[in-house]
Amino acid sequence: MGNNIYSAALSGMNAAQFGMATTQHNIANANTPGYTRQQMNVDSKAPVATGSGFVGQGVNVSNVQRLSDAYLTSQVRQEQAQASYLNTFLSSMTMIDNMVSDPAAGVSTALQGFFNATNDLANYPDSATARQSVLSNAQIVAGRFQTIDQRLTDISNNLTGQISSSVQMVNAYATQIAALNGTIKRAISVGQGQMPNDLMDQRDQLISKLNQEVKVSVTQQSDGSTNVFVGNGLALVLDEKTMGMQVVKSSVDPSKVEVSYLATTGKSVSIQQNALQGGNIGAYLTFRDQNLDPVRNGLGRIALGFANSVNQQNQLGQDQNGSLGGSLLVAATPKVDQGINNTGTAGITAAISNVAALTTSDYQLKFDGANYSMVRLSDNVVTNLGASLVPSPTVDGFTVNLASGAMAAGDSFVIKPTSTGASTIALTTNDPAKVAAAAPMRTITPLSNIGTGIISAGSVNGPAPINANVQSPVSLTFTSATTFTVTGAVPAVVGNVAFTPGQNISYNGWTVQISGAPATGDSFNIAANTNAMGDSRNALQLAGLQSQNLMLNGTASLQGVYSQLVGQIGAKTQEIMVMSTAQDSMVAQVVNAQQSVSGVNLDEEAANLLRYQRAYQAAAKAMQIANTMFDQLLTLGR
Amino acid sequence: MRVSSNTLFDNNVAVLNQQQARLMQTQLQAATGKKVLTAGSDPVAAARILDVSQLDAANTQQAVNRGSARDTLISSETTLSNVTLLLQDVRTAAVGLGSASANPAARNTVIAELSGRLKELVGYANTKDAAGNYVFSGFQTKLQPFVDTPAGVSYFGDDGKRMVQASSVQQVSSNDSGADVFMRIKNGNGTFDVSSFVPPGSTVTTNTGSGVIGAGSVINPALLTGNNYSIDFSVAAGVTNYTVTNTTTGVAMPAQPYVSGQAISFDGMQLSISGAPANGDSFTVQPSKNESVFKTISDLITTLQSPATGANMTNAITRGINNIDNALNNIVNVRGTVGLRINQLDALQVAGDDVGVQLKQTLSKLQDVDYNKTLTDLTQQQLSLQAAQKSFVKISELSMFSYM
Repeated sequence: MGNNIYSAALSGMNAAQFGMATTQHNIANANTPGYTRQQMNVDSKAPVATGSGFVGQGVNVSNVQRLSDAYLTSQVRQEQAQASYLNTFLSSMTMIDNMVSDPAAGVSTALQGFFNATNDLANYPDSATARQSVLSNAQIVAGRFQTIDQRLTDISNNLTGQISSSVQMVNAYATQIAALNGTIKRAISVGQGQMPNDLMDQRDQLISKLNQEVKVSVTQQSDGSTNVFVGNGLALVLDEKTMGMQVVKSSVDPSKVEVSYLATTGKSVSIQQNALQGGNIGAYLTFRDQNLDPVRNGLGRIALGFANSVNQQNQLGQDQNGSLGGSLLVAATPKVDQGINNTGTAGITAAISNVAALTTSDYQLKFDGANYSMVRLSDNVVTNLGASLVPSPTVDGFTVNLASGAMAAGDSFVIKPTSTGASTIALTTNDPAKVAAAAPMRTITPLSNIGTGIISAGSVNGPAPINANVQSPVSLTFTSATTFTVTGAVPAVVGNVAFTPGQNISYNGWTVQISGAPATGDSFNIAANTNAMGDSRNALQLAGLQSQNLMLNGTASLQGVYSQLVGQIGAKTQEIMVMSTAQDSMVAQVVNAQQSVSGVNLDEEAANLLRYQRAYQAAAKAMQIANTMFDQLLTLGR
Repeated sequence: MRVSSNTLFDNNVAVLNQQQARLMQTQLQAATGKKVLTAGSDPVAAARILDVSQLDAANTQQAVNRGSARDTLISSETTLSNVTLLLQDVRTAAVGLGSASANPAARNTVIAELSGRLKELVGYANTKDAAGNYVFSGFQTKLQPFVDTPAGVSYFGDDGKRMVQASSVQQVSSNDSGADVFMRIKNGNGTFDVSSFVPPGSTVTTNTGSGVIGAGSVINPALLTGNNYSIDFSVAAGVTNYTVTNTTTGVAMPAQPYVSGQAISFDGMQLSISGAPANGDSFTVQPSKNESVFKTISDLITTLQSPATGANMTNAITRGINNIDNALNNIVNVRGTVGLRINQLDALQVAGDDVGVQLKQTLSKLQDVDYNKTLTDLTQQQLSLQAAQKSFVKISELSMFSYM
């Protein structure tokens, strides 16, 4: 009987100590990330049957339970993956957003400066300062494009580094999870089915961290181990085995890296990049492919539009030396990258044919053995190019040319029409005389004319290249009030040409109009515009490019496209910002819910401390009383 | 609901972060005066701001363009007004000569004056602007447009007109070519030109009578042929007849009796001859041609230097005065268009200023901070941040361990 009291009291003291230890463990780990609150579970010991009935034997500590809700844990994991994806995406987007929002760093003010300078040149075509100013401002525009492109390149290079380190962390976490799987399995068998709570916390925490790098899915095994899958069900951790991920050159676009799967055999397996959603890696890849590259292309497209239009117009004019104008700016040619798995010998080149038709997408040229096709990578629209690349086909404003060799079936090339536009733009000359302010020809009305016919100043027919005979002298001589002859035109014009006042008269690459009533014998001459220091016709045309809808199939000006680009970047940033804020509060909600189950409440633990202290005191008192009882018993024998 | 102690802290940290971020944003808006700090904060406004700024910049540049065109036009207007005064002086001198043309001394004075005026006129025609460019040389602003050659003062410029972009849709020319101002002046009455007959190769008429011919006029434009005519006089037995011959076609019209001062009409033209033409006297009628103001003046000088007297002198001087009037008309016309262009620029300036004000208002609405609202927001956000901080400190003090 006495023995019974002792053991019951002892079990109470033991249980209280156990509880105290659990409580202290909870208090100690209150701030440990990923820690799950533990709770001691007890039950009463089996009673001993006596003649008077069953007598209790005290308390038994059945286990220390980890208060975790699997559903909430997985929900936190999911929401956190999305939150880290959005946060990383947002911080990347913000970099571009800040860059284009700074008016001093944007392209807009530089473009304005250039067009102001061309207007000034049109006002004072004979001013050396105005001429120099056009060139300097063109340099500023080019510099602005290059600077922004350089910053995009920096961001892009930085992304490559971040993808690599994220992939390294994924591999490290996978290895640690696999190792913990082993430890946990063995701990369970040593503990005879009792769960190693803290190890499981550690593993959950690792999975949560892994999930912030890339979205994973998790399955629990009955032996206590956890399998982790990435992408479309590729195993990353199976029991104690680890597969990994690797950063490799993209097979589609060798100028980029992509993330591939490293099987146990050590073989790198290419995976669909868009399957890697969520987490930092998902954010990096999405940002790079769907935001950074289109922004760079968008900027390149504006640079190309600017360079091509200015060059075109300058080529239609005459420079200060009286020569026909040339190109003022370097306009990029499309970048062509060979697929790394190509087996054919083809060399492919591409050229811009129409800036107004350009998109901001990259393209993939494919050959299936019979037919060529062009895939627009932004929306995967396929243009069938037929069985031959001769003559060179044109897609969306650029022309593809088979320069040498032949493509083998399955070969591909990535063509980026606009990606180098902003980085390549530069001045081709430092000579202000090369700015073509004048038109190459002028019209002359001889003083001997007696009629009232008036000839217009004339314009040069675009697009460049300009007609080689534009400066050859041509005479239009009226043989009657309604007919004239043309001398000097190439090809020669034989006989009379009918005359209607105000009609366009075009020869040798120029167009003039004659209005009024020329008299018989009157003539009008078109000749080289020598000594034309004061002619600003072409400068006016250059200045007019500012308001012309040169881009997007004639629907937007250069400035308009830039504004659109800034608007798009802003809209995307705003969208991500809103989503990210919403996601953060979503995470806060599920974490609150999860913490309300698994988090440590110090007041609760304080109460538990008091509870177990009291329990221990009570049990110890019972022990003391039993002892006193025993003493009492012993004194009976004296 | 059970609340974990960490949640209490975490939530508070999150709230404080949010509030501080919001406060910083508002403070930045107040400090910069800009509502749209990055494109992300208002993408639509950001794109609009760029577009409107460019419109505003272009509008400002057009004002600069108008200013430069106005300066050029006003300086050429000044030159043209001097030229007008000069031509009026020349006319006065020529008219004044009428009665005194027989007096060699008076003639010499006028010759000297006209020669001086001619040089002065060439000087005006070769005016340069502040930058040293010739105003009346068309496109060839570095080339002296008017040069005195053995064949008279000739024009070496061209017909080039320098245009400036005066508004987004309008171009205004800021110069007039020397040809239009000084050279392209129709002689005679603008349609035909009458003169005493001068044999080919000579500069002196062979008329001997006292017939004086008027400038004439067009009475029926539909009948005009644009051909050359001669009016030949024959005097036989005290009767004077004239014959009009179309020298282009060689067709002679029937001879008519001559009555001094009576209208002579043919092929839509009408003119009158007064006085007594001698037998064999002849007058020519030709379509009007361009005659430079320089030629008009130098022809006058040549006539005055010649031994001509009487009706021949009168005819030459009348013709000269007529052509000076034509030149004056032409200059007045050119000045008129210059004035019109200046008016046009002024009107565009008013419109441009209005547009500028509108654009700046739009821009201000898009990007400028409403200080009343922003400062109120700032105070409010400050208050709620303080509340969050104070309440958090209070709550965090609550722990059972404090009482154990």
